[in-house]
Amino acid sequence: MTPEQIVEATLFASQTPLTAAEIARADGELSTGAVRQAIATLREAYENEGRAFQIYELGDGFQVLTRPEFAPYLERFDSVPRAPYLSAAALETLAIVVYRQPIGRIEIEEVRGVSASSVLRTLVDWELIEVVGRGEGLGRPLLYGTTTRFLDHFGMKELAELPPPEELPVVLAELQEAFDLGAAGETSTADDAVGVE
Amino acid sequence: MTVDTAAPQILTRTRPRSPIVGAEPFFVELDRFQGPLDLLLHLIRAQDIDIFDIPIARITKQFLGAINEGLDDMQLERAGEFLEMAASLVRIKAQLLLPRPDRLDWEEDPRAELVRRLLEYEHFQDVVHVLQRAEAQRGRHFGKGFIEPRPMSVASRDALQLTLAELLEAAVRIPEPPPPIRVRPPSLVVTVEEKVSLIQRLFEKAKRISFKRLFGPWGTRAHATAALLAVLEMAKQQAVRIEQAAPFAPIWLFSRGPDGADGSDGDQS
Repeated sequence: MTPEQIVEATLFASQTPLTAAEIARADGELSTGAVRQAIATLREAYENEGRAFQIYELGDGFQVLTRPEFAPYLERFDSVPRAPYLSAAALETLAIVVYRQPIGRIEIEEVRGVSASSVLRTLVDWELIEVVGRGEGLGRPLLYGTTTRFLDHFGMKELAELPPPEELPVVLAELQEAFDLGAAGETSTADDAVGVE
Repeated sequence: MTVDTAAPQILTRTRPRSPIVGAEPFFVELDRFQGPLDLLLHLIRAQDIDIFDIPIARITKQFLGAINEGLDDMQLERAGEFLEMAASLVRIKAQLLLPRPDRLDWEEDPRAELVRRLLEYEHFQDVVHVLQRAEAQRGRHFGKGFIEPRPMSVASRDALQLTLAELLEAAVRIPEPPPPIRVRPPSLVVTVEEKVSLIQRLFEKAKRISFKRLFGPWGTRAHATAALLAVLEMAKQQAVRIEQAAPFAPIWLFSRGPDGADGSDGDQS
């Protein structure tokens, strides 16, 4: 058995992202470095062979997922319920948490101008955010930060993939442009952005 | 392969049309707004107002008009959030009316804090768009288990290939179930009633009797069980008081009168 085959078998059998260390448990002689090497080889092979799936990096884990262009075909099937798209309130709260973490409820409410306690509870229930500590202020308020599941939900490998705050207007202008092009019937240029270098 | 749905859903998921209908008066669907900042920002952006020079009087009027309609149906907390903003707007307006030096530093402008909050809120709206875009893209990747597994049933859904006669014939061939085996538990040779009358007889001679005396002489489990049940039954009827000094110490039974009193007020245990 080659390391590539062992890693492939492990990833194939998993429904959730696996870290390199978790994959390495499959074989005593497999180091995390060898796992990463094998993943790189597999990724290249899938790419060259035109596979309908690829290995994606979500948070600190790896998972085999279908490529985005097959979504229209798969969406025809009865599917197991997935995490729903988040509400505007949830997204707004997450946007603040992700750029200001660790952050307490009061600070979030100051930015949003509305109460945030119930939406925070929901986000914690969904494991998109978690309590990461307590602040210094009155009553030592709970401070929240984003989780690995947050990265998975938004298809990110790490938070550094988010644009720095000062570049946001530029990024959004580009998105708008891509959208306009897409609406005009061009093929999408940015459909493979999930955790891929 | 070409992509069928190249256009990301994100930009179409934002407000499809302005909830402000006509220029004035404003009809605003408050439900569409996350809160007062969202509404205020919309009023400013929809009218191309310079955010660093907000006409407070006009915006305040529009803001109040907008919330006036929806306020009654709103939950108290949500209504409070809008009213708080309305109060700040009115305060800013009042401060602007006060006489002031000709040249005003931006920091001293009563509107500065509001503008800072609006810009900060708008900044996070940008982040929301980035997140929505990422969420929509992630939603186009599927992992194992996405397609619902088929139900476990292996039975064929084809019509039954069997005549009624064949079915009945098969039913007849099913052997009769064997008769159930009846097991009669050995009857208790000692009855609870027996022990109750023993206790009552002993109480005629003594006020206090040892629990062990009720079964000791016989030395069988059946007697001990019946004695225990009898004592518990009598205790339930308040006819007897049970005392035990410590765990595993001898148990003593005291007679109680018909009125439930036995002259002593010691704890029951």
